[in-house]
Amino acid sequence: MEVSTSTPRDAASVDWPSDWLRATLGFLALRALSPGPSYGYAIISELERYGFGTIKGGTLYPLLTRYEAAGLVTTEWRAGDGGPGRKYFALTDQGRAEVTRLSADWLRFTDVTTRYLDQPTREGSP
Amino acid sequence: MIQQTSDKKWFDQLVMELRLRQVHGNAIGDTVASAKELLSDTGQQAEEAFGPARDYAAALELPAAPKHDWVRKALWPSLLGLLAFLLFNQAVVSSTRSELLLISPAQLALLATPVVLVAFLPLYLDAIVRRIWVCIAITAICALAGVMSGVATPTDQAEAWLALDPLPWLIGSALVMVALSVRNTIRSSSTTDDDDITDPSSGAASSTGTGARVIVQVTNWMFPILALAMLGLALALR
Repeated sequence: MEVSTSTPRDAASVDWPSDWLRATLGFLALRALSPGPSYGYAIISELERYGFGTIKGGTLYPLLTRYEAAGLVTTEWRAGDGGPGRKYFALTDQGRAEVTRLSADWLRFTDVTTRYLDQPTREGSP
Repeated sequence: MIQQTSDKKWFDQLVMELRLRQVHGNAIGDTVASAKELLSDTGQQAEEAFGPARDYAAALELPAAPKHDWVRKALWPSLLGLLAFLLFNQAVVSSTRSELLLISPAQLALLATPVVLVAFLPLYLDAIVRRIWVCIAITAICALAGVMSGVATPTDQAEAWLALDPLPWLIGSALVMVALSVRNTIRSSSTTDDDDITDPSSGAASSTGTGARVIVQVTNWMFPILALAMLGLALALR
């Protein structure tokens, strides 16, 4: 996967609460690898393009290292075009299954949250 | 230029932190190369992209060698070498003057000080590497103990706790020092160090220049070289 410059429709530059990002960044990074192997900057650009803000290398790489240790991703160094080599991350079968499971769980969780938030509030309550 | 200097300092610190965590050289090379790759893509400074080197090294949670590995490989031989060197120094003066080797309990305790400090090095190695004053304090204590042990040497046999023939101790300690140096020389020259930091994109190992190899050999022979100097000094002052 190379860095894309097109902007998705729902992208917005928002500073999400750091707790929310901490909770979701793991499987978002895995999801960014679903289309195919990718490298650090391309993953960061992909997430930024979709409105998650700019993820720092100091946040992303430890996550990917942990996933590599857990067998969810594999890594491979490929020669760069005239520049330094690039470290590509790719999902393993186990990683792919994990993305599917986590995505389904997240959708269920957001559905429950949305239903709760959408319920009418009692009059006079804060 | 300033960015390059601060990044170099950051990377030096990162390597040191990962070494302190007993991370294998290959994994350190991989970490450094992937960090450089991102900085080259984003144009950011290392500290800006990854935060403090110490925190980043901790966050990576890279697999580490067992803690006792370097103790077995490096610390115990160094400790034995130091012990032999200290024994040699005690024996060399008596031997060149054809006197008995006289030892008092206070002298023995003072001589044991550097040995004990080195033996407990794994407990405070992090502090020595991170705080220069700890390193200076430990060195000063060892030097002071050495000087004080000279002062505490008994002048006649009645004051001494032990009175020994110095020659066997002189020869024995010299043999131990030479044997350890030969062992270290063989280990460092016959085998490629598999813990070198290697660049994963090229497979090249760093820090294997002639200068580095000379420093390693001089370090391997440090105790015999110092012992020879002490022997020369003792003969000159006889």
